[in-house]
Amino acid sequence: MSNTFTITIDKHPVEVSPGQTVLAAAKSAGIDIPTLCFLERCGPLTSCLVCLVKINGKMVPSCGLVVEPGLVVESETIEVHEARRTSLELLFSDHVGDCLAPCNRLCPLRLNIPQMLRQIQEGAMDQAIRTACEALPLPGVLGRLCHHPCEQGCRRGQWDDPAGIRNLERTVADENQKTAEPYRPATKPASGKSVTIVGAGPAGLAATFHLLREGHAVTIADRHAEAGGSLRRAVDEHVLPRAVLDFEIRVLESMGARFKLNTELGRDVTLDGLLGGSDAVLVATGECSPEDCAAFELENSGASIKAHPDTWHTSRPGVFAAGRAVRVMNQLIKALGDGQAAASSLHRFLQGQAPARAARPFSSVMGRLNPEELKLFARGASAAGGTPCSSRAGFSRKEASLEASRCLHCDCRSSGNCALQTYAEKYHVDASRFRQQRRNFEQHLQPGGVIFEPGKCILCGICVKLTEMAAEPLGLAFIGRGFDVRIAAPFDHAIDEGLVKVAEDCVRHCPTGALSWKTRSFSLNAGKAHL
Amino acid sequence: MNSMLESAAAEKPEPVAGPAPPDLGYVAELVARYGRTPDAVIPILQGLQEHYGYLPGESLLKVCEQTSITPAAIAGVSSFYDMFRHRPAGKSIVRVCRGTACHVTGAERVEDALRRHLNIAPGQDTDPAGLFTIEKVACLGCCTLAPVVKIDQLTFGHATPEKAPKIMDEFQVAQALGEAAPNTEELRAPATAKAQINVGLGSCCMAKGSDQLFAALQQSVARAGVEVTVKRVGCVGICHRTPLIEVIQPGKPVAFYEGLQAADARSLIYRHFGVRGLVRRVAGWWNRALDTLLLEQAVDYTPRHAVDVKQPEVAAFLDQQVHIATESFGQADPLDLDEYVAHGGFSALARCVGVDWKPGPPEHAGGKPLSALEIIDTVEASGLRGRGGAGFPTAAKWRMAAHQPGPVKYVIGNGDEGDPGAFMDRMLLESFPFRIIEGLAIAAVATGTHEGFLYIRHEYPLAVKRVRAAIKLLQKRGWLGERLLGADHSFTLSIKEGAGAFVCGEETALIASIEGHRGMPRLRPPFPVKQGLWNKPTVINNVETLAMVPWILRHGPEAFARYGTASSKGTKVFALAGNVRRGGLIEIPMGTTVREIVEEIGGGVAPGRRFKAVQIGGPSGGCLPARMADTPVDYESLRSAGAIMGSGGLVVLDDSACMVDIARYFLQFTQNQSCGKCTFCRIGTRRMLDILDQLCAGKGHTRDLAELEHLAKQVGAGSLCGLGKTAPNPVLTTLRYFHEEYEAHLRGRCPAGKCAALIQYRIKDNCTGCTLCAQSCPVDAIPATPYLRHAIAQEKCTRCDACRKVCPYNAVEVV
Repeated sequence: MSNTFTITIDKHPVEVSPGQTVLAAAKSAGIDIPTLCFLERCGPLTSCLVCLVKINGKMVPSCGLVVEPGLVVESETIEVHEARRTSLELLFSDHVGDCLAPCNRLCPLRLNIPQMLRQIQEGAMDQAIRTACEALPLPGVLGRLCHHPCEQGCRRGQWDDPAGIRNLERTVADENQKTAEPYRPATKPASGKSVTIVGAGPAGLAATFHLLREGHAVTIADRHAEAGGSLRRAVDEHVLPRAVLDFEIRVLESMGARFKLNTELGRDVTLDGLLGGSDAVLVATGECSPEDCAAFELENSGASIKAHPDTWHTSRPGVFAAGRAVRVMNQLIKALGDGQAAASSLHRFLQGQAPARAARPFSSVMGRLNPEELKLFARGASAAGGTPCSSRAGFSRKEASLEASRCLHCDCRSSGNCALQTYAEKYHVDASRFRQQRRNFEQHLQPGGVIFEPGKCILCGICVKLTEMAAEPLGLAFIGRGFDVRIAAPFDHAIDEGLVKVAEDCVRHCPTGALSWKTRSFSLNAGKAHL
Repeated sequence: MNSMLESAAAEKPEPVAGPAPPDLGYVAELVARYGRTPDAVIPILQGLQEHYGYLPGESLLKVCEQTSITPAAIAGVSSFYDMFRHRPAGKSIVRVCRGTACHVTGAERVEDALRRHLNIAPGQDTDPAGLFTIEKVACLGCCTLAPVVKIDQLTFGHATPEKAPKIMDEFQVAQALGEAAPNTEELRAPATAKAQINVGLGSCCMAKGSDQLFAALQQSVARAGVEVTVKRVGCVGICHRTPLIEVIQPGKPVAFYEGLQAADARSLIYRHFGVRGLVRRVAGWWNRALDTLLLEQAVDYTPRHAVDVKQPEVAAFLDQQVHIATESFGQADPLDLDEYVAHGGFSALARCVGVDWKPGPPEHAGGKPLSALEIIDTVEASGLRGRGGAGFPTAAKWRMAAHQPGPVKYVIGNGDEGDPGAFMDRMLLESFPFRIIEGLAIAAVATGTHEGFLYIRHEYPLAVKRVRAAIKLLQKRGWLGERLLGADHSFTLSIKEGAGAFVCGEETALIASIEGHRGMPRLRPPFPVKQGLWNKPTVINNVETLAMVPWILRHGPEAFARYGTASSKGTKVFALAGNVRRGGLIEIPMGTTVREIVEEIGGGVAPGRRFKAVQIGGPSGGCLPARMADTPVDYESLRSAGAIMGSGGLVVLDDSACMVDIARYFLQFTQNQSCGKCTFCRIGTRRMLDILDQLCAGKGHTRDLAELEHLAKQVGAGSLCGLGKTAPNPVLTTLRYFHEEYEAHLRGRCPAGKCAALIQYRIKDNCTGCTLCAQSCPVDAIPATPYLRHAIAQEKCTRCDACRKVCPYNAVEVV
């Protein structure tokens, strides 16, 4: 049909054709209205109501509303976003499950630990190496020295011993070092920006790693003859073999880091000089006395450089500070995390944005498991206790695989591949805002490989509709009413008995992790349809 | 009421534990009766439930085998509606009404007492012996008798916790005696006698024994051999005084009696009609003597029940009313077609279909025929707006439908009145079935429609029965079906019974329900007038709206528009109940103020109590404080005050009502009745309720009030249908007008002394140690210590109020 007409979305005219929905019209105008329950061939299900727009003073789901000439639509306004956010927050208030496992959330460097463990367990060491090396600046060092907050949060510890995550990390790093062609973390194309980092200790190296990955040119100045800072000078050889440290510094060099050793700030170079030669400077020199600060020409607060706690920006524009130069930190992982966080703020600065702390990745959190729930998770894990690990030799591959198989995989199979999670992140959702007592976590493991987790179901109705359209012999139905509605196969049959024909389709289009496959590659259930 | 849902969830793992596998032959019978198409699912399930008392799993499978109803559909539908049970119930069902009026008069305590008496464990719904199953019912629609308990077919009004054992005893005695409810529904020959006794036979009246009285009067008349017609009439409206009868004798003033019981029938007959003829006189004397012997009391005690219509109270109740929807209320036999016609019935429809109308009164015969457009213009000129709550102009709806291309369109009369505290639709359906059918038929003619439905909730069995009988009568006379009133316009009409879901009053949910789906609303537009039932243009009007249409056409639109305000014309029927002295069903001109309704018509609150607020519009409406009592009742004024007209429930609250508790009550209701489709309503109302629960339990946080208001506004704006959009109104209005009560709850105090967790019962110094309280305490929280001041063990006390009520010295206080 050629009789198109114009509607207004966010004050812009948009050409539409009759019969089109407001959602489709907005999409054609490049506006991403979030949807969870929308699947074109199912028609508007209008259940999730995150696709609200405002028309004539009223909030309406855009997926079901057909355009009319003269329609004036508000989409990207504070008020509409607030409504969408509330809808998402309400869904999360009744959402049982973690997007990210506690180990992952507790890791300051956000290593996807369950994924690495799955890869180790399956013997896919190359993939485990990639997972570790993409996230960690110094995996071999951390594999030996990390305080492993991940293991403190590990739910396996509620059962017997936590998974030996640090030792597995070390194994992966050692395996990488052993290979002929060790893994080199990917870097983005050159940004044309340059940064000088003062101090080649843990914080400085972590920042180096992060900035190199972002494509910036990084020069590291250190007053000592060798890079590594306290790692080189304060750690015994038998705890951290120098060969490991040297290897990891070489990896940074292979990524493009340039070291300017025997160079001391305040003696050999000044901040002014450094700023003249690069776009920004990060000071990560370790402890700074007031005299040091004076020599650096930076404001101090007590016994350290004064830097904004959320941006790491110092009193001088373009100069950032991180690690023990800013505050006391006794744990290696904290220093690395701080260096990385400062680098991420600095990266924003280089892009012309206001420096700021990177947002924590979004995750729904279900908190402590009760014994029944723990049992559910333990079903799929090895029953063995913690594997002893020789501090000299580390795990053998076989031991590593066994240890990794103790992981409960309490992360969500659809994390990273979930529309609910994506929009929660985008809309800055506070998942706990309306949370009350949560339901029990349930997991129905079906013989056909489909896993159904009712607590993650948002009752979008897509699977119900798909089974109906496919004339499934049993199909799925909404059971009950109101707050207690659940998706189930009729007459107490198992979910996959209702999914004889369209299991694949239903899992693919489930907008959350409610329906998933038991195992589909290591990043579970990649390739869901909506993203 | 989600007892079914609870039970469905609880029972899931175990298979249905029927003593013997049910005989499934009945399934085929039902399928033959209702058909094999998907829309037959609800009637078939209703049939199964009636037959087996629940829905045996095997029978559902059988239905799927024999019809095109899918397992997914039957599982979804049977778990959606409240009336369906998936496991056997006790022999008798004890239904405790949880309507608004019942709630404010203590239904919760009555239920607790019944549970204790029947030994029903918490979380269970059936007693150990399997004799009684207790169910909460959203509203039985007998609000003036609140609190109400219905056991099988017997209704008990004004129940109290103390009366629980007595109620059960009475029920068992009635059962043992095989006392069936007298039949009031058979069709009778038209009245011939000159003298007449009118007996109000609406559900409320019957619950107070008017059916027994009706039967007793008939018997007495027969025995006495007097020429008197005992006539069944519809609701009288003065519900607070039922049973109400009217004695009409030629040459004598009309006499009214209130509160008579079956035992009084004979004396009433003798008092008014004496007995003629010797034989009859002897028989009469003999009967009277027998009565005296049996009753051991003065026979002639009827005079103290006589009501003087000029009595100021009754006059105040009746004088301000204008009867349009309730025209000839309390006078007409609901099912006497000739009487309806004699009073002008069907003359409006006759003009609409162009029939020369002879049977009615001469002034209505042969009126000018009206074209479809003229009908709509007339209705438009009257200013009639939808009485279901939202107030959409009726004529506009009809006009849109009339413009839709045919040939298939539908009209639906919406009688799914589910608001707790409202019973207007029930009364209209019970008392004026012909008028509603006439209104619907006029809508059909005006819009060019040939098929209609009346959707009536199954909780109103008498309404269903009477409308069904009325349809049969009309079909028999050839006035409905192929030729409407004999004219060249076919119109078939059938009844669709609801299955217990408040949300089905929403028009798109109602349509889904008729089509045989879960009653889940969909997005409007498209509106039903364009795409409604089976995607055809469909007009849906509330039955009260329809009941006004014939009057408008007969008296002219100006007569109707003379009543009311600038934008709200005509009258509105209200169910007046709660803490008010004269509750009942009233029809008043729009624009009457709340104060006039409560104080003049309703007689105010009980002596010693303070009028605090009115709740208008049920769960979608709001609470207006006494200081706003001069608000006129019209669509716009109520909306700007935060309430809505709603379907017309008007519950008066006195100072014993806790406004936080009222807000919680309504939210509990909507939360229970939410279909569960959209996020805002399904989860949002639940989260609001969570906050209110915490407030009432004294566990609120300061930030809760702001969060509650924020959430209420978001739920109101974001929800898909009217139920969710209006669900926050009771919360928002109480937050607006009674903020200080919320704040008091934050500080752990319930000013009205209602929230159990925030109050304590204490015994004061003036206790004489009479042990009455100890004896009445159902949980033994008061040790019996004669002549010593009693004490209440707080950890045992359930705050049932029994001790305070029983204490003769007012020594029990609530702190």
